Amino acid sequence: MKKLTYFPGCSAHGTSEEFDSTLKLVLKTLEVELEDIPDWNCCGATSAHVMTENLAYALPMRNLVLAEKLSNTTMGIACASCYQRMKVTKVHMDENPELAKRINTTVVEEGTYKGSVDVKSMLQYAYEDIGLETIKSKVTKPLTGLKVACYYGCLLTRPKDITQFDSPEYPVSMDQICEALGATATEFDYKTECCGASFSISNTEVVENLSGQILAMAKESGAHAIVVACPLCQSNLDMRQPDIEKKQGITYDIPVFYFTQLMALAFGYPIDQLKFPKHIVPVEGALANIGKVVPVPEKVKKPIKAVEAESEVK
Amino acid sequence: MITLGSQGKNTFLEAVNTKSGANVLDCYQCGKCVSTCPVSQYMDFPPRVMMQMIKLGLKNECYMANAHWYCLTCSACSGRCPREIDIPAVMEAVRHLAIEENHVNDSTKVKEMRKFHEIFLSMIKKYGRNYELRMMAEFNIRTRNLFKDMHLAPKALLKGKIPLGVKPLKSAKAIKRMYEIAEKLEKKK
Repeated sequence: MKKLTYFPGCSAHGTSEEFDSTLKLVLKTLEVELEDIPDWNCCGATSAHVMTENLAYALPMRNLVLAEKLSNTTMGIACASCYQRMKVTKVHMDENPELAKRINTTVVEEGTYKGSVDVKSMLQYAYEDIGLETIKSKVTKPLTGLKVACYYGCLLTRPKDITQFDSPEYPVSMDQICEALGATATEFDYKTECCGASFSISNTEVVENLSGQILAMAKESGAHAIVVACPLCQSNLDMRQPDIEKKQGITYDIPVFYFTQLMALAFGYPIDQLKFPKHIVPVEGALANIGKVVPVPEKVKKPIKAVEAESEVK
Repeated sequence: MITLGSQGKNTFLEAVNTKSGANVLDCYQCGKCVSTCPVSQYMDFPPRVMMQMIKLGLKNECYMANAHWYCLTCSACSGRCPREIDIPAVMEAVRHLAIEENHVNDSTKVKEMRKFHEIFLSMIKKYGRNYELRMMAEFNIRTRNLFKDMHLAPKALLKGKIPLGVKPLKSAKAIKRMYEIAEKLEKKK
């Protein structure tokens, strides 16, 4: 039994409850025990670093200090935005002890920051620590026939010297996980384009435009559904989809799953545990493709290989 | 009138470089950041122009721009920058300097975006976590746009996408104290 410190993030209690609950199902099957950080706080999200430098480091640091008190060496973070704020803080603090000391003065009661806990997104944890072979071995109901566009957004793989995971331009970890589940990952060029993120409320026009392009490209790639690992991406692509359709005069009707929902489905969990009714865009149409015989593709598809981040950028 | 180079040191450039940890002088104006940026179409001065304005020490013009408010920190530009400049950090430095100097941007959109961030941070200060429903309500009231997103509300609330309440932290006081100390640190700099 592996153990992992878990940081769900504020959205796990509302917007992305389905991410949180299916993640827990999946990790139960994969024999990973989660240990919650007691009384964790908001990471500050976009707003803290937009407005002030100190608070943007201080809020995540309190969580890092609390996590260091638990015995696990790694903290898994569900929300991509929380993950990025926590990782940025960790990397900057470890590089600059003087800065760490200054920021630590804001964390009064919890203790001293040591930098002893590693920070990973749940996608990274599933890919690196659990591995494709183990995931594959737990599949009881393969998702054969389901074509998915894996959408990573900006925060999971960028900037590469902070995240140190997958490729910043064309990541493949989620594609490979979906293929391990039996689904087919489409060739999707908008994998790491931004969905508009925190402008969801304050500048909706931008989100409708950017997320609209992502939906269009996903549809064009032939996908039945989009798969994500970020609550804000899910909410922008799913909740705003009807408005985008109205604005563009196009019907996409493309559901947006968390990768853990598909994992739980392939691991054989009953459909009523996967929180599909929480989706705004109905999922039934896409899921009906599972088990259908896939026509032989016209061109032989190249297997997706992990690309060295280095060679991609230079 | 803009006077270039006659004032001796370019203190604005120095301030941006120190704050961001980047060297804006590295920029050779190739424009890759502009073509990469997902929101450059909304910016009055896209990243490449901002870089040049910083080099020229045009502080007020930079503060007046909306670019540093529109930057989503998606890091697409810095990943492709041939000079490996951390452009989002530069944008952030300009924004922080503007905030520290109490500069108020004229644009209504920028004012709204700033208001959103202020409301978000006030929620964290109060509860230690985000209270989405209250945040959205306050944003609508304070930007005088009461019915914004109201058509999404029934579905979102029914499906439990937006919870009605928030469970405040046990140590909410620690967060309040953190805010106060962080504010003092900000002033000390």
